[in-house]
Amino acid sequence: MVALCSLMVVVGRNPVASIVFLIFSLVGVAGIFALLGADFLAAVQVIVYAGAIMVLFLFVVMMLRLEREKREAMRLTLPDRVALGLTVAGFGFVAWKIVAGAKAGFETAAPAAATEVAGNTQLVGMKLFTTYLWPFELASVLILLALVAAVMIARGDGKPATRPVEVDDGSR
Amino acid sequence: MVPVEHLFALAMFVFVCGLTGVLFRRNLIMVMMGLELMLNAVNIAFVAASRHVGGVDGQVMAFFVITVAACEAAVGLAMIIAIYRRYGTVDTEYLRVLRG
Repeated sequence: MVALCSLMVVVGRNPVASIVFLIFSLVGVAGIFALLGADFLAAVQVIVYAGAIMVLFLFVVMMLRLEREKREAMRLTLPDRVALGLTVAGFGFVAWKIVAGAKAGFETAAPAAATEVAGNTQLVGMKLFTTYLWPFELASVLILLALVAAVMIARGDGKPATRPVEVDDGSR
Repeated sequence: MVPVEHLFALAMFVFVCGLTGVLFRRNLIMVMMGLELMLNAVNIAFVAASRHVGGVDGQVMAFFVITVAACEAAVGLAMIIAIYRRYGTVDTEYLRVLRG
């Protein structure tokens, strides 16, 4: 499952297909969360990501006409290729170091203390409303702010476009 | 149980995928999806670490990351719509206003 969902992420080329792949990947991540005993987080992941955010993405892709952008895949010039190779190599090196260090050092650490299977949601809720109360409230304010900001930005006041918009919606 | 190194390796892989999307895709929506992928990679790492240490702090942190990701997606997509209305494209190749 791990390899599968990771591979699906890479494959996507045209926007709609890659959104579908992204949904699969996010659901896979939710599965990983459930596997790790984070039930609450898995549920939140499915609802928020695979539900809300992906629907948002789909709406935007459907709203914009992307026929032109859809056809071109990832064009990489030579410097791009070099940069990509360097990036992957660097991250691979860091990952290798982490894995090596983890093999060496993590064995001595306490082996996964008793986060039992059952009361995970309760634990997270307790943590959320006691230790992390202020960040929680801040997050709610942030969501409200993002809501208002998104509406304000997307509404678009009647300023004329610098380049004429090609969408002709017949009503005006 | 899945060993924690594998999860970190997976998180790193997904992060590199997202970074590649952000850096090398021309479509703004693909860039946003790359951002989402990177945030998810961080979430995987958080949950794996919290599992390993044996608390729920990492899960709470991942919860906040999801919150911020939702906000970021909403605002970013709104900005993409605004950009499309104004310039008629979401291709970063053609958005050169700041560079003159």
